[in-house]
Amino acid sequence: MAQRLSAGGNRGRSPRFRIDLMPYVFILPAVVIYVVFNLGPVLASFALSFFRWDLLAPTTEFIGLKHYDYILNDNRFWNALSHNFIFLGLAVVIPVTMGLFLAVFIYEIRRGRVFFRAALFLPAIFSGVVIAYVWKWIYHSFAGVLNAALEAFGLGAFTQLWLGNPNLALYSTFVAYTWASFGYSMVIFLAGLQDIPTDIFDAARVDGANFRQKLFRIVIPCLYDVFTFVITLRIFTAMGVFGVIYILTGGGPFYASDVIDIYVFRMIGNFEMGWATAAATVNTLIVVCLSTGFIKWRERRSWSS
Amino acid sequence: MELLSGEARKWLRGAPFYVMLSVATAITLVPIIWVFASALKSNKEIRENPLALPGEWRFQNYIDAWFGASFDAYFFNSIFITVTSVAIVLVLSSLAAYAFAKMRFPGNQLIFFIFLVGMAFPLSAKLGPLLSLMYELNLANSRFGLILVYVGGSLPFAILMLRAFFQGFPQELEDSAALDGCSRFQFYLRILLPLSKPSLMALGIFVFMGTWNEFFQALLLINEDGKRTLPLGLTAFQDEYFTDFALSFAGINITAVPVIIVYILFQRNLIEGITVGSIK
Repeated sequence: MAQRLSAGGNRGRSPRFRIDLMPYVFILPAVVIYVVFNLGPVLASFALSFFRWDLLAPTTEFIGLKHYDYILNDNRFWNALSHNFIFLGLAVVIPVTMGLFLAVFIYEIRRGRVFFRAALFLPAIFSGVVIAYVWKWIYHSFAGVLNAALEAFGLGAFTQLWLGNPNLALYSTFVAYTWASFGYSMVIFLAGLQDIPTDIFDAARVDGANFRQKLFRIVIPCLYDVFTFVITLRIFTAMGVFGVIYILTGGGPFYASDVIDIYVFRMIGNFEMGWATAAATVNTLIVVCLSTGFIKWRERRSWSS
Repeated sequence: MELLSGEARKWLRGAPFYVMLSVATAITLVPIIWVFASALKSNKEIRENPLALPGEWRFQNYIDAWFGASFDAYFFNSIFITVTSVAIVLVLSSLAAYAFAKMRFPGNQLIFFIFLVGMAFPLSAKLGPLLSLMYELNLANSRFGLILVYVGGSLPFAILMLRAFFQGFPQELEDSAALDGCSRFQFYLRILLPLSKPSLMALGIFVFMGTWNEFFQALLLINEDGKRTLPLGLTAFQDEYFTDFALSFAGINITAVPVIIVYILFQRNLIEGITVGSIK
């Protein structure tokens, strides 16, 4: 009880009949800015997707699901969404696996840990804009390092318009995304590894466990929650990918690398706010369902096993 | 194998790991080195041999790039917006996190949960109404407006992280401070904040990087050249100079270098900010 009194901060006064206003003073500024500039617009986007818009201003005319009817019948909406799902499928496997293995390698070595961690994380510190321009030049048809290197190794037949070929453009942007993402997964895995008690590894060594046994029997089970976090993060970044694609291809050629956030941005630019808010709401529902569903599924599995 | 000393054997066992790590490091570093090297070449050199090192180091490219666009304005805007945002986030989130972690009040759990919800939405979820709101409040195309948007975006994570950290503080500390007649605000200012310096540092660097690099919302809200941040300014610069290869490379580097410097200086804080938020 003494703890409760001091925590409530009503020293000497009756805590029961007096509402302590101090905590609200402490949280108020954060609440105001958060609600006005973040949560409010999200809720408004959802609510106003059922109303007619007049350019940038919502009107009071309720039109029900009309905007949804439009976007759900728009091939470009499904085209963009399908690309997000391709991104998602690749993103939960490739950067995550790379990050895991590189983290294990760094954990296993004795010298140079700090250097390798710093060097491998480096691309992750840049803005999507910088990453995109670096790769725009790598992919450049004749001044780019990729085609030049292929030529130099006698593989000239494999040179490509990496961003101009509709069959490749999306995957080319994914490579740029991965380049800047695996280091992020890696540092989180590495921190998780360093939290595993070392006597488990000592015991495994005494028992003569090899690398693969250690990986599958110790590292992966012990990092269960870390995996959940790393993959959830990929869900958010893959479903919300924007800057890298916006700069590398703008969603092109011919919408071949279009994604939802570029679709929404384009709608806003065309002052089609009704469609933009409806598309954003569908995407939000998908992201929230995917991420919470995934987390719930992982939690249930960890309890049942 | 007996011929080898224990030390050498250990090294040999680690060799495959070093090989793999070196390959991965080459993948991360070579493109960056290539961009820096290309920025020192002439357009002719780049066109004729993209792989070659610069014949002579043309630092003039940087000067031309700098004056080719309003990079000084972009720099000032980025520094002003980022530093102000980080400062506001640190103050507001530490105040709120202290209340959530250490005070009992009706709505504590609920309001904290409402903050957490903010991390579950993709960025595009708020863009339409945000743009209308900013025009309505006369905050569109304004650095101050962008700061408010960035602060609102960073608060959920910041509060989550600091609340977890403050919860680890022993209650006795606050009790004895209260006995000495220390008000809760004094406790926050004189005891909690000084003891939280490492966490505030990690959070600050993390928010700094995210804000400095932000592009999507800046693109939506800023449309005047003099108010652009660096990532936004770089796109404008590239649109104009994409055919001028060397300047284009130099422009990328002008944008990348400040981040690299901050990373070199605060690498440990940044990685702590990322991992503390994820593991604990």
